[in-house]
Amino acid sequence: MNDAGTLALAALGLPLCAFVLLAVVAPLRRAGKAAGALGIAAIGGALVAALVLWRSGQGVELAWSWLPAEGGPMATVGILVDPVAAVMLVLVALVSFLVQLYSLGYLEHETGPALGRYYAYHSLFAVSMIGLVLAGNFLQMFIFWELVGLCSYLLIGFWYDKPEAARAAVKAFWTTKVGDLGFIIGIVLLWGRAGTFTFSELFKMAGDGTLAPDGLGLVMFLIYLGAVGKSAQFPLHVWLPDAMEGPTPVSALIHAATMVAAGVYLVTRAYPLFLLTPDVLALIGWVGAFTALLAAVLGLVQADIKRVLAYSTVSQLGYMMAALGAGALGAGFFHLLTHGLFKALLFLGAGAVIHAVGTNDVWRMGRLGGAMPQTAIVFLVGTLALAGIWPLAGFFSKDAVLAGVWEGGLTVPFLMLALTVFLTAFYMFRVVFLVFFGAGRAEGHPHDPPVSMSLPLWTLAGLTVGVGGYFALRGGGQEGHGPGWIPWVSSALAVAGIVCAWVTYQKQAVSAETLARIFAPLYTAAQRKFWLDDFYGAVYRGGFLALSRLVGWVDRYLVDGLVNWASAWTLRVGDRLRRIQTGRAQDYLYGVAFGLLLVIVWSYWP
Amino acid sequence: MSALGLELGLSTLMLGVFVVGVVARDDARRIAGMISAIGVLALAVGSFLLEPAPAAPGDAFVLDGLALFAKQLLLVATFIGILGSLSLTDPAFRRRAPEYYLLLLASLLGMLVLVSARELILLFVAFELMSIPLYVLSGFLKRESVAVEAALKFFLVGTVSSAILAYGLSFVYGAAGTTALAGVARALGAPGPLLLVGMFLVLAGFGFKIAAFPFHMWVPDTYEAASTPFVAWLSVAPKAAGFVAIFRVYLEGVGDRVALWIPIVAGLAAITMTAGNLMALPQRNSKRLLAYSGIAHIGYMLVGLAAVSASGTAMVLFYLVAYVFGNMGAFLIVEAVAQAEGSVHLDALRGLAERAPLLALAMLLSLLSLGGIPFVAGFWAKLYVFWAAAQAGLYGLVLLGAILTVVALFYYLMLARPMYIDAPRRSGPIPVSPPLALAILICTLGVVGVGVYPKPLVELTLRVANALF
Repeated sequence: MNDAGTLALAALGLPLCAFVLLAVVAPLRRAGKAAGALGIAAIGGALVAALVLWRSGQGVELAWSWLPAEGGPMATVGILVDPVAAVMLVLVALVSFLVQLYSLGYLEHETGPALGRYYAYHSLFAVSMIGLVLAGNFLQMFIFWELVGLCSYLLIGFWYDKPEAARAAVKAFWTTKVGDLGFIIGIVLLWGRAGTFTFSELFKMAGDGTLAPDGLGLVMFLIYLGAVGKSAQFPLHVWLPDAMEGPTPVSALIHAATMVAAGVYLVTRAYPLFLLTPDVLALIGWVGAFTALLAAVLGLVQADIKRVLAYSTVSQLGYMMAALGAGALGAGFFHLLTHGLFKALLFLGAGAVIHAVGTNDVWRMGRLGGAMPQTAIVFLVGTLALAGIWPLAGFFSKDAVLAGVWEGGLTVPFLMLALTVFLTAFYMFRVVFLVFFGAGRAEGHPHDPPVSMSLPLWTLAGLTVGVGGYFALRGGGQEGHGPGWIPWVSSALAVAGIVCAWVTYQKQAVSAETLARIFAPLYTAAQRKFWLDDFYGAVYRGGFLALSRLVGWVDRYLVDGLVNWASAWTLRVGDRLRRIQTGRAQDYLYGVAFGLLLVIVWSYWP
Repeated sequence: MSALGLELGLSTLMLGVFVVGVVARDDARRIAGMISAIGVLALAVGSFLLEPAPAAPGDAFVLDGLALFAKQLLLVATFIGILGSLSLTDPAFRRRAPEYYLLLLASLLGMLVLVSARELILLFVAFELMSIPLYVLSGFLKRESVAVEAALKFFLVGTVSSAILAYGLSFVYGAAGTTALAGVARALGAPGPLLLVGMFLVLAGFGFKIAAFPFHMWVPDTYEAASTPFVAWLSVAPKAAGFVAIFRVYLEGVGDRVALWIPIVAGLAAITMTAGNLMALPQRNSKRLLAYSGIAHIGYMLVGLAAVSASGTAMVLFYLVAYVFGNMGAFLIVEAVAQAEGSVHLDALRGLAERAPLLALAMLLSLLSLGGIPFVAGFWAKLYVFWAAAQAGLYGLVLLGAILTVVALFYYLMLARPMYIDAPRRSGPIPVSPPLALAILICTLGVVGVGVYPKPLVELTLRVANALF
């Protein structure tokens, strides 16, 4: 094992140790703050390991056979570190570290045991997410994939005595499960064709053409379904806004920067395989662009600051997927990274606001810019980055995505994405103006957060500016090969969005109500989330529950009846058989004689 | 010389224990237990340093891969058993400690020779050396009439079985004209009726030792009455030795003719699994329940034997390792609870999770292993045994075994339920003496270690088994 392998295992092992300690040692968990310190120290160590690994630029692939069999192992466990995994690892460890630090301030009013539970879940999430990033084969990736889903469920439902939170946790779990079902079927089908789960072997087969292309489209589509669920793509995006019932730092970590990006990471990881199926790639591109537009429209009408950010996350995930679908692998992944930084920043900023005013409703905030200058500045940085204003990180990645989609020949998706640029700037600045400027409606005495919360905010803001500045100085993004007019158009659209928001919500030259009247059908539709949730609800109640009742009847009367009959019969036979154990030695000797007879007769039976 | 090293070392150890018995007075005799434990540990460590020696065809005593593997397993199991026995508090175990440990080591010596024997007379002598101390040990508490009664039953069934074994061996000798197993294997190339009768009689004799149905009837009574740490050892060590002896007589060097044994072994496997599992269901005494579950496990191992293939044999060896750790662990925890509660009834386990969470966890892991749940040793053991049988085309047997696994889970969870669900009858922690705790720890680590990373053990058993065919 070389250095890179050791570092990767350290990044995985440190949070694991923290989780095991917190799970097993009850007094430590109940201590609350100490549990937090342990979790933060562990993820900090993992961050250092990840940074060193990334800077060293070493790649490594380790594999141990796990389920031995005579004809070679059935499955291996291993880790695969390549540049993509290394940089993703840094993002995951960094955001996890900052969010855990932030949580210490944000959840200061929680009781000790609750805080310990929170950090135990967080450490488990870190293990799972890092394991997902480092997984060297599909099977292992799926295991960690499910584990992050579990952590997401646990953390959304962290305040489990709140009914909405419990419901949202279940909804998130089931909705993503629909996609996961496709994912696992796809993995098994792929194994059936290729005989291996390992990425490197699969890529080799994809490269030299030994993987039969016919029917592969279905397999890759099923695998893509997993990404649809996790990365909240249409039509499975409905869980993400509801997931905002969890604590805000959780939203920042899991539902903005890391877990929801796992679907994009999956497509990135398996890209050589997706390249064999251009139809599926095109589908990914179209669905991504449509998701981006749909979520942006939905984001326009939300009153809950976190829900605006949630729809914005769905929308940006659509951007990444659209880029991947158009063949711009680097652009999509680049946008994943920058988005991870500034979206975590926005969520943590929103958390600071919520922490200060005690509500999520943007209509009950206002003029907070004066009371919380630090928060306002970092939130503005994040918003400008999300809107795609030069020279922040989001500008370069968004332009790379737009250029990639244009170059990929997906004209209609490109137009959808361009329109989304305008909408994004509009709904984000709507929030900025309502919350930090405008009429003062906030109650109490809001103030900037304590250091443990503001430090992560400034770090992320600095990185958002720094990454942008780096590319600005270098002159362009990674894949800035698109036509020269794209940056100008997208910047113009973004500025237009900002101006419209300013006119509507700051100057109030155009009243929001008038706008709503003009776009009445669209406004109503967006308010109702395009009836998708209602539709799913109806399908669930009408179809699924009816089926459940039928199955329940069969289970209760037929299956259970059979099982009860079999178990009663088994018990009765057991009781009868017990009676041959008389306790008399002569009977035991008869037993031996009987057995002997049995052996002889049986072996000479014709 | 080195082929006999372990046996010589063990004999020296026995001599030492004997001298302690002569020299030391009263309570000072307890030292015999410590000496035995340290000595067996040293031998166990030594056995892992030995290299298997390839056997010549005519050798009567061999130290091949199979023998060495079995000896290592037996020594580890005996070490665990002695550690458990050190915690026994009855005065008899102090005053007569040298006697107890001397008998135990004598039986172990018999087992060590048995797994190396490739000659019929040596095999029979080793078999008796292994068995006779066991009769004495099960009636060790001679003031307790149940123990004496159980020992007597054990002895009666045992001697009858030995007689059948000797009778069968005489047929085999008569038909094959040699007492060397290599010669017997050759003779099996064209077996006459007398030879087959002899082989089947011998199988009945071994059937007693491994407690296959219907030769098992001594098991529940003996297990219930004898002291639990001894039973923990009795439930695994002689059975491991018995299986290895069966491999030697029925499989080694027989070649294609092994197919002869498939129907009879498959039949024994089927009835043993069925009877063991079903009879475990109504039990309310932990030791009797584990006794019947042990019979069921023998049935599962016979499934692997019925495959009469290298992979089947390897998987039986793997199963034996899993069974040693899982079964001994469960018995020793029952003992730990019984020492505090004075009862081996299922109710004694009530609320164990609240009173002694680690003990309850260890018990749960042992039970899950015995039940065959993933990521503990027993899961791989069952999976691999069934797999080997399926490769040999014994699908019916595999199906039966799988169904019975469900039955088995029912009674294992019946043991686990009171620990976690029911409220404790009394409060306060359960004290566990250090040697017993160490023994339980070793078993639990074994169960988890083999369960999480079975690869090296599977490879080792495959290597050992391939040499037989």
